[in-house]
Amino acid sequence: MAGRNLTVFHDDVFLVSYPRSGNTWSRFLIGNLIYPDDPVTFANIESRFPEIYFNPDRVMRRLPRPRILKSHECFQPQYRRVIYILRDPRDIAVSFYHHNVKAGNLPDDYPMEDFIPRFIAAEFDNKWGSWGDHVTSWLALRQNQPTFLLLRYEDMKQDPERELARVASYLERCSFGKIDVTPAKLKRAVELSSPERMRALEKKQAREWVLTRKTRHDKPFLRTATSGGWKSSLSQTSVAKVEAAWGELMQGLGYDLASSTPAAVDPPGSVVQDEAARTNR
Amino acid sequence: MKPRPISSRVGAYVKAVSDAVLGRKIAGRELTVFPDDIFLVSYLRSGSTWARFLFGNLIHQGEPPVTFTNVNRLVPMIYDFPDRVLRSLPRILKSHECFDPRYPRVIHIVRDPRDVAASFYYYNLKVRELADGFPMNEFVTRFIAAHTVGYADRLGSWEDHTLSWLRLRQGRSNYQLVRYEDLLSDPAKELTKMASLLGICVTPARVERAVNLSSADHMRSLEQTQGKEWRTTKGTRSDIPFVREAKSGGWRKQLSEASVRNIEQAWGATMRTLGYELAGSSRLPEQAAHTIEKPYATR
Repeated sequence: MAGRNLTVFHDDVFLVSYPRSGNTWSRFLIGNLIYPDDPVTFANIESRFPEIYFNPDRVMRRLPRPRILKSHECFQPQYRRVIYILRDPRDIAVSFYHHNVKAGNLPDDYPMEDFIPRFIAAEFDNKWGSWGDHVTSWLALRQNQPTFLLLRYEDMKQDPERELARVASYLERCSFGKIDVTPAKLKRAVELSSPERMRALEKKQAREWVLTRKTRHDKPFLRTATSGGWKSSLSQTSVAKVEAAWGELMQGLGYDLASSTPAAVDPPGSVVQDEAARTNR
Repeated sequence: MKPRPISSRVGAYVKAVSDAVLGRKIAGRELTVFPDDIFLVSYLRSGSTWARFLFGNLIHQGEPPVTFTNVNRLVPMIYDFPDRVLRSLPRILKSHECFDPRYPRVIHIVRDPRDVAASFYYYNLKVRELADGFPMNEFVTRFIAAHTVGYADRLGSWEDHTLSWLRLRQGRSNYQLVRYEDLLSDPAKELTKMASLLGICVTPARVERAVNLSSADHMRSLEQTQGKEWRTTKGTRSDIPFVREAKSGGWRKQLSEASVRNIEQAWGATMRTLGYELAGSSRLPEQAAHTIEKPYATR
């Protein structure tokens, strides 16, 4: 599989995010804006905007260019054009938990409380690093460069048309053709990418789609599709652990903290221990 | 920079498939990382081979000294072996990768990019990637843009590479930054600083032994007898040495003023942060230490 050994072309656009941050929804939104007459489904998404992890490089090289590719990699210097999607790590944690249950990595009754420290330490899919490393790696190296577009899942939920228009103008700058962003077109793209439509498609196509094919079919890929779900799904202790690990970074990104003294919690993972080591110097 | 003939591309493809099937595919970025691993990370031509000798001789005390014939097994490079083989080799590994979040302990060697540029130019002559007489100025322009040879381009530019490690890991106890120039001027002092990261007990005698067994003169004489066998230099031009000057500041003679200015304009702020004095009086934008901006904090 191509993965990290993907051949990168200068005109590639990468849709990068930590897992469970709304990357698939973004692929639907963009696809439904660019090809309004042939909407995105789970059956055609991987040939249009494929993930870099499911096809050999030789297949990826043959895709029409400019390519739009989904990637979960930490900072990659050779990705020249990057749309980076951020999401509240507390919501990612909940979503990632259910994702791992669906994938058969965790039993149904696995305590969320035990999952959180393992999530913070990046024990699952560890090649992508922890959420904090992932976000920091891209922001510290690429923030404010004209080739880097930063999106937030929460902003996309709040006003998808506005955020989609930002993406369209970015893609136009990346030598994509003119993209029609009249309010009607934006609205239609958003409707074609609604959780209801995506859920209906998932029901029909989950057994074909490469991401869900081998996972449990009694659990959905597309879960709540909301933001802030962590408030009811995570215990206070779990929230405090996430905030102790990445509180400062989260605040900088506009995610308000629920715990008032995050630093008082025991450091659960190496990331936090290192942070502590730094402040003690 | 040379186009590859179709036959070589077909050959590479056949090799890649059979290697994958037989578990011979080199590890590289797909390496399995273990919690105790130590990585010697650097950009190209930044003294990493010397570091393999230094650290190899420091760590492997009871064993024969590091030479070009055993360095690949004593301080293996992640690009020389499949993952399967690396599992049973000492886990102090040489890597040229940009930031990898999995590396648990990192010794990061940084070198003045003006020297790196000059050194990389001569290296490319040696491996016949460049023809004699290729203009240095043009090479430097490509070097700045990370557009020289595929494997190097993949690592990013010198600045991307350097900052990716610095900004993600600086200040942590499992990360040590070493400048090649400091390693040259006082290797014993720099090696001693690494003791706690390496988790070894370092005595002055142990350090002295490592430094002596890794001197440029010693390495040069080893290269003369072993250069034809060592994987990295085998089949390359023997009229150009691999262990070249082993000095810092060579760029003053080897690079044109224009090339120096181009490098400093591209990376001046980062060079200054690392203590590399700029030659140009150039009015470079002052760049404060990077903090992640708060694009959403005010909402």
